[in-house]
Amino acid sequence: MSELSEKALEYTKRYLGPASKTFLERQTKSHLKGLAFDDLKHEDLPELLKWLNISGGLLIGAKAEEMIKTMEIMLRVKRAV
Amino acid sequence: MTKLVSSLQTKLTMSFIVLILVVSSLTYLFTFRETKKGLLEITQTELIALSSVIANELSGVQAEDMASLNPGEESSGKFTALAAKLQSIRSAHSDIKYLYTMKKSEKGLSFMVDPDYGNVDDPGAKIGEEYDEVHDQMLMAFEKPAVDPNFYTDKWGTLLSGYAPIHDTKGNVVGIVGVDMGSDLVLAKQAFIGKMIYLIIAISILLAASFIFFFSKTIIKDIHKLNNIANDISMGNMGVSMDVERKDEIGELAESFGRMVASLKIMMMNDNASDK
Repeated sequence: MSELSEKALEYTKRYLGPASKTFLERQTKSHLKGLAFDDLKHEDLPELLKWLNISGGLLIGAKAEEMIKTMEIMLRVKRAV
Repeated sequence: MTKLVSSLQTKLTMSFIVLILVVSSLTYLFTFRETKKGLLEITQTELIALSSVIANELSGVQAEDMASLNPGEESSGKFTALAAKLQSIRSAHSDIKYLYTMKKSEKGLSFMVDPDYGNVDDPGAKIGEEYDEVHDQMLMAFEKPAVDPNFYTDKWGTLLSGYAPIHDTKGNVVGIVGVDMGSDLVLAKQAFIGKMIYLIIAISILLAASFIFFFSKTIIKDIHKLNNIANDISMGNMGVSMDVERKDEIGELAESFGRMVASLKIMMMNDNASDK
């Protein structure tokens, strides 16, 4: 697993718990052209965060926005429009 | 639903009320005891001051007149004038219950002038009447002003007395003046202070209990929310949302709970996807 994948997983776990990896893998496979989460690169982050916000919102409501903001700051990402 | 009697809110409120009651009771006991002591000391100081001033006023020719009175002279002009003088001093000080003068006798102490002599309701002593319950303070007063350490009871009631020496024109001690205060006055002051302390404690308990009741209500409200969410999930309803926003331990519990719920949802979605 790349260092970036590990960091993304760590921040996501704070909000989504132990099943975060399963969730992230599904997001990258479904919305990032079948990309394996372990191979995540920095340029994939804006798109991933966009989908994390949408799908995470269904799981944790308004907390998803907080999760994305934390990840934007910690991973130094500009959000995809 | 938890019964009101066994609810956390009731337990919290009751615990604090008991705590406040214990602290208040101890404070009350200490404060009341110290107040009683303080009141007694103030009264003693007042008695010393009063007896000294009155003794000074009676010293001189009047003291010689008193010393020269013999038993049976209660209707003499000298006695009447001296009794009227004592009566006028007593009238000027509402705290004084009895005011009298005494001198040393063979048996101990005897009365010289008691303005209450002849009073039908509260008869005083006649000239030369022996006082049977002489205190050490009375004898000490022939040297310098003295006061009883505590209330004492004799045939005139429960009293606290101050005594001071009366001097003749040559400066010799001819007797003492006794100033009595009734226990009812001091007891009334003590009762008033006691009631005030009771009132303050009651108001404090009421305010603290109200504060604790509302404070615990906010905690219990969020615990109820978490409980309801756990109930929903246990019944298979995964469409619940975590809306407990706190920065304390309950907030942390809600966060952990939220993570658990999110993971459960993800795993359930995964299972559903696998089934398809």
